[in-house]
Amino acid sequence: MTELFNRFLNRKDSSKDDAKARLKVLLIHDQVDLTPAQLDAMQEEITAVIQKYVEIDRENSVVRLERGDDRIALISSVPVRRVIERGLPA
Amino acid sequence: MSECIVVTSGKGGVGKTTCSANLGVSLALQGATVAVVDADIGLRNLDVILGLENRIVYDLVHVIEGECRLKQALIRDKRAEGLYLLPAAQTRDKNSVTPQQMRELINELKEEFDYVLVDCPAGIEQGFKNAVAGADRAIIVTTPEVSAIRDADRIIGMVEAAELPEPHLVINRYRSKMVRRGDMMNKEDILEILAIPLLGIVPDHEDIIISSNRGIPVVFDETSVVGEAFRRIGRRLHGEPNVPELDFSEGNGIWGTMKRWMGLAQGVA
Repeated sequence: MTELFNRFLNRKDSSKDDAKARLKVLLIHDQVDLTPAQLDAMQEEITAVIQKYVEIDRENSVVRLERGDDRIALISSVPVRRVIERGLPA
Repeated sequence: MSECIVVTSGKGGVGKTTCSANLGVSLALQGATVAVVDADIGLRNLDVILGLENRIVYDLVHVIEGECRLKQALIRDKRAEGLYLLPAAQTRDKNSVTPQQMRELINELKEEFDYVLVDCPAGIEQGFKNAVAGADRAIIVTTPEVSAIRDADRIIGMVEAAELPEPHLVINRYRSKMVRRGDMMNKEDILEILAIPLLGIVPDHEDIIISSNRGIPVVFDETSVVGEAFRRIGRRLHGEPNVPELDFSEGNGIWGTMKRWMGLAQGVA
């Protein structure tokens, strides 16, 4: 129903935004030469390391590559629930 | 000061050859001497777009292999004073030529002409390496599509690796109606991703097909909006970098209708 309403008002999602989003991901993969599976694995490992020190909200964690003007940056946003109350990991 | 400009894209079918032909004509119509070189050995097409296919006797490979002199292979375009075509060989392949041989050929052409425009083949292999070998700078042609822009990005990296200066971008087959309804990436979207300076935008237009049917580059047609887009790009190349972008956003409304009546916006997609 909402979709119908949006279509009527010509407010449907524009396909160019899809194009742009897909393109940005593609270009990162092309440049770093990592497959999406490798990127997922990297994200898993990074999160695992962080979890050794702090308790995090995994559901809302983001670790991704982003393209800036002349470099690719690893952007991560990891909400911390609390610091784990113990000494440094062995 | 003469200059060699390579027209390249990575992806095939985005309009490199059309762009090379029309910019060559546009520069010649402004009074410059121009050689357009078809570097797509084995799949020549620039001759057909220019309507000069029946006048080919010798080609680029004949020149490189010493079977004829450069002047014998150059075809003069009688419609535009100062414009010459060096056709590609049709029965050979890209490995018949080395980058060093191309460099020497381009240098010889630069002694005679103000501009040498090289129409690069699609792809990133030998043909690309040959086409950029003698170039002083590059024009990247793309269309507002994911695949074309992805390949353009790759080619920009390769142009930089070839130690050419920052290339300029031509966005071809722009459909302003689709852009307006959000179904095509707009100029800003594309420039944000590719991050190179814009040389110009060419609207998607049926005149291009008609002109290629006839072998008369659209830039000769003074009433064509797409011809005007190419003329402006040609002027930007030839010492007028600030020529304003063509406003082809019309299409709806009274003004658009009037322009259509006058034949200016006819067939703009």
